[in-house]
Amino acid sequence: MALGKRLLRCNLLLSLALALGISPALAQAPSGQPIRIGQTLSLTGPFAQTGLAHQIASQIFVERLNRNGGLLGRPVEYVVLDDQSKPDISRTLYERLITADHVDLIQGPYGTAAILAAMSVAQRYHKVFIENTLGQPALAKYEWHFSATIGGPDSTATLPVKVLDAYASTGHPPKNVLIVSSKFPSAEDMAHGMERAAKAHGVEVLGYLEYDVGNRDFSGVAARVKDANADFVFVACLGVEGDQLLEAEKRIDYSPKRHFYLYPSGSMAGDSLADRAVSYSGFEDVEPYISTEEGGAFAKEFDARAQKAGLPYPHVDSQAGNEYAGWQILAAAVKATNSLDDKKIAEWLDKNSVETIEGKRDFSGRSHTSAVDMQQLKQVQNGKWVTIWPLDRRTPGAQLIAP
Amino acid sequence: MAHVSLSLIEQSLITGILAGGLYGLLALGLSLSWGLLRLVNLGHFAIALLGAYLTWWMGTALGIAPWWAGLMIIAAFFVYGIGLHWVFMRFAVTEMASMLITFAFAVIVESALQFLWTADFRRYETAWGTQSWVIGSLYVPKLSFIAFLVACALAAATWAWLRYTYVGRALRACAEDAPIATAYGINHRALSFLLSGLCAAYAGVAGVFIALIATLAPSQIWAWVGVVFAVVIIGRLGNPLGALMGGVLIGVCEALTMAAVNPSWAPLVSFSVLIALLLFRPRWI
Amino acid sequence: MDLTRDRIRVIAGLIVVAALLLIIPATSVAPYYIAFLYLVFFWISMATSWTILSGFAGYWSFGHAAFFGTGVYCAATLATKFNWPFLWTIPASGLLAAALGTGIGWLVFRLQRLRGELFALITISVTFVVAAIISNTPIDGGSGVYLISVSMPELFGSQPGTIYTLGLFLCALTLIITYGVYRSRMGLGLFAIHDDEDVAEVKGVPTFRYKLGAIALASGLAGAVGSVYSINVSYVTVGETFEITTIMYPVVMSIFGGSRHWLGPALGAIIVTVALYGFPAGPEAALARGGVALGLILVVLLLPEGVMPSLTQLWRRVAPRSLVPVAALPEPLIPPPRAEEAALAAQHAVVLECKDVVKTFGGVQALKGVTLDVRQGEILGLVGPNGSGKSTLINVITGHFRLDRGSINFAGAAIGQLPAHRVARLGIARSYQIPRPFNRLTVLDNVALAASFGDGHGEDDARRMAAHWLGYTGLARKAFDYPPALNLHERKFLELARGLAARPRVLMLDEVLSGLNNTEVDDALNLIRDIRDRGTTIIFVEHLMRAVVALSDRVAVLNGGALIALGDPKEVMNDSEVISVYLGKAHAS
Repeated sequence: MALGKRLLRCNLLLSLALALGISPALAQAPSGQPIRIGQTLSLTGPFAQTGLAHQIASQIFVERLNRNGGLLGRPVEYVVLDDQSKPDISRTLYERLITADHVDLIQGPYGTAAILAAMSVAQRYHKVFIENTLGQPALAKYEWHFSATIGGPDSTATLPVKVLDAYASTGHPPKNVLIVSSKFPSAEDMAHGMERAAKAHGVEVLGYLEYDVGNRDFSGVAARVKDANADFVFVACLGVEGDQLLEAEKRIDYSPKRHFYLYPSGSMAGDSLADRAVSYSGFEDVEPYISTEEGGAFAKEFDARAQKAGLPYPHVDSQAGNEYAGWQILAAAVKATNSLDDKKIAEWLDKNSVETIEGKRDFSGRSHTSAVDMQQLKQVQNGKWVTIWPLDRRTPGAQLIAP
Repeated sequence: MAHVSLSLIEQSLITGILAGGLYGLLALGLSLSWGLLRLVNLGHFAIALLGAYLTWWMGTALGIAPWWAGLMIIAAFFVYGIGLHWVFMRFAVTEMASMLITFAFAVIVESALQFLWTADFRRYETAWGTQSWVIGSLYVPKLSFIAFLVACALAAATWAWLRYTYVGRALRACAEDAPIATAYGINHRALSFLLSGLCAAYAGVAGVFIALIATLAPSQIWAWVGVVFAVVIIGRLGNPLGALMGGVLIGVCEALTMAAVNPSWAPLVSFSVLIALLLFRPRWI
Repeated sequence: MDLTRDRIRVIAGLIVVAALLLIIPATSVAPYYIAFLYLVFFWISMATSWTILSGFAGYWSFGHAAFFGTGVYCAATLATKFNWPFLWTIPASGLLAAALGTGIGWLVFRLQRLRGELFALITISVTFVVAAIISNTPIDGGSGVYLISVSMPELFGSQPGTIYTLGLFLCALTLIITYGVYRSRMGLGLFAIHDDEDVAEVKGVPTFRYKLGAIALASGLAGAVGSVYSINVSYVTVGETFEITTIMYPVVMSIFGGSRHWLGPALGAIIVTVALYGFPAGPEAALARGGVALGLILVVLLLPEGVMPSLTQLWRRVAPRSLVPVAALPEPLIPPPRAEEAALAAQHAVVLECKDVVKTFGGVQALKGVTLDVRQGEILGLVGPNGSGKSTLINVITGHFRLDRGSINFAGAAIGQLPAHRVARLGIARSYQIPRPFNRLTVLDNVALAASFGDGHGEDDARRMAAHWLGYTGLARKAFDYPPALNLHERKFLELARGLAARPRVLMLDEVLSGLNNTEVDDALNLIRDIRDRGTTIIFVEHLMRAVVALSDRVAVLNGGALIALGDPKEVMNDSEVISVYLGKAHAS
């Protein structure tokens, strides 16, 4: 029902925008048959919360696009189906989008499993397939796959090194690390990457702890973390798990010296326990990300809608940022080729780069990923995330704080 | 795995015992309705989580303190329990059918929770959430300890009630042999309504503590099912003290597994214990 | 009604439908519908295979996800780590899952207390344990397994065509196997297990073996289905494979459609799949799960047997008469007489011999060393006050209870340690004092089951013989009723008919006369004499002394678990110890 309302709202806004032409300063109102772009998202099921963020980002992009004249002079219609967080349903629904609903173009779904299931469908019908959340994008075998992720071909190799480099830059790098990981595929992959990076950099690995997804009680994990008392705690967690771990540590009066969280909940920054916590970042509603007009407008609009939809952390993050960038990439290719032909779009993307809210993107890396890991590192300072790495992308005045 | 220090073991024991309190609290109502009413109520977890959401919502949106919220929830759930039992009596529902119906009910509650409060995680942040009492080098989290005390008090009171009062003995007699108990003039219907209401009220109590201690998401309904069923079986059906002791046993086993092996092996513990107990039933079950 | 022809017709029908469905990928139907049909096939296979054990035999399993998941990971491991050609992983996954299922069954099915909700509980635990093991070992390790580089055989032009074909094949196979079980002796046995497992065993149903067979089929099919699932999603994770929906949907679908009919789960699977996945956009999507759940509650409360039986009834009412098969009593078949028994009866040979039989229950000796001969062709009256051990003795002889000490020989074979169904096969049958018919089998099938398992006939012959015994006991008119519709008198005679249909050499009648009026008692006595005259030895437990004296050739008196008198009825009844037992007070003084 919530979905229905949202769809309705989306359609209303869309038709309103179409009818009024919104702002006369903008381009000509699009006309003609709408271009239909289809996507499935996990609007229900275990990944529903993230699916919702992706949906909001997609809607914002499409509305802005239509306000600005649509694509090829035609309005764009966003067709979103609910895959219930199940890869087999996602696969079936891409089949439906392409063969029954006859959409013109597709966007990838959310989540590694759904993406891999959907990609085989895209491959079969020779549709350009842009995804933005594939855990290991280099595994994609499809030649018209393009990754809107910013971690480069293998961020499990590059991100941990980035983190260690950043700490090394403070002059007193951690001598040992305790790795804590959620039993969630992309978290596990990153945790293993950290293990390898630590060994390569001569950092002793004190332990490798894993907990189940949906773990109810973090007291046990916290007790182990305190017992190990490592220089650096690398936590490959999902969302709220990181906050739960911090709280459990607080209850036994422990706070880690240095700590990293892979996918922290949005609200973590506001938690005093999370002071000096580090994470990776692609897009936030702070400088430098909102310095462009489109980035700023997107961040503002996303925050407003997330608030309205009742998301507990109504702020844009790299999930939403990647999704938006994915749409920017598709739209740019359509405009540049002046065509809806998947072959032309793919050939263009193969050779060109696109300016997105997350920076300039090309697909020269393995399996059409970005050639380098473009992720930044951010840190909680005074209750807010600030960017601290690489040095040239820092939030003005910020630098990594470590003991 | 790594070397396990003594203080880690001690801290884990405390953690396990206190976790067992919450398990016991959830198991209490389930054990009573299964043992004495012969109804396997999967909806128990759903309303416990509903109670948790209500506690959180009243606290954050309306500013109602958790104990007042708890009182309202307990009263409302008591009425719900009576209504539920009316349906079961009206349609003469068997044990297996009760399992299915209450599963379907739990799915409906899950959908409703998601509709009202999205699938995102919710946390009820209170001042006591991260506080502990310190005893030597050990830490006793305040909220978990209070939950444990409440579990002990409820389990003991329920046990005494079943054992020493007329109503309690009558209930046990009905569970053994309803027709004979009826022949002795025990009003089985009225008593079973009372018990069903009580079980639902216990779910409400558990819900308040889940809100304060755990993280809320609609799908968390299923996170408790396995471990609490194990507790119910270990504690013996219909035995309130057993439910508490089973909870502590499982809690301690899990905590020690987390300390000595790896936290991700912990879920295996309760199920392995359950399977072993069912296969090689020791005397006390 | 020719059953064999009926069976061939249904299976041929299934094959024709499957063959017609096979054409679809070659037509211009949008591939989406092909992919959607695969989903439908997937769930039909899951729900139908679940029902072989859980619907037919009533052992509700929440372990189907464990078997399915075993198949998923078996295929993923073989295809990625050992480079097996994908098609070979399908039977391998099925076999591994079947082995797991059989192993669990072997451990669990011998424990009588693990029925009902405890069985459900143990199976759900197995699911979580399997998931935790896969997640914490290199089988998965937590990162999931990628099958994107596994090459897929192209059976019908395209990849979805291949998956569709494999799904269709497994679906048809599942339905054919399930129908085969449903229509076989095994099916009848499983249904009897569902209604009353102890009685089924005593009537000759090899319950342990059947349950093992059922769980092996159910788990094996789920495993094979899992293998195709893994290539369909091309990336498998523990979280998605062992989701709560995978655990519950097969149960929900079967119950929805009707889990005692071979086609019920398929119907439920179609309804639920379309409701859940047919409307992925708009308000329906969010409502679907809640709607299915509400539908389930209504079905369980209002149509406890599921949708399928109601549909069948509706069909009977609206369809033209010519299309509805008329349920006619099969042509009665009179079992051939047994010449050797008559000869033995003439010699008064000992047929059943109890030596020093001891049975203890938790420290209390219910039988304290009973020694007793039963001669071919006699009617032995077995009497004694309540709690004297009569019922225990019957239960020990039939093999329902294992005896603790002593021995029992029947027709030259030691049967003291045999399971009840073997004893029944050898030729010992009993009736129950309080009739225990299989309530959800027709009267005819109740008797046919006894003929089939007790006397070893094929199903067609068994039904024809059942028709004979129903005529003999005067129940022919009630052949297609269900036992709850019978009155006490008729239920007693149904007990008798079931006992006779097994054509036992020894028939033990446990208080068949209690609750009958005088005329009915006289009818029954005549019937019992007639049974004996046809060569069957009868052990006759009774309180009614008039009947015992009138009917018995010899009388045995039990008291406190010991035999206190044996011999001619009149003499025994005048024995002072027997009198004191029966007059209580005198004995006490």
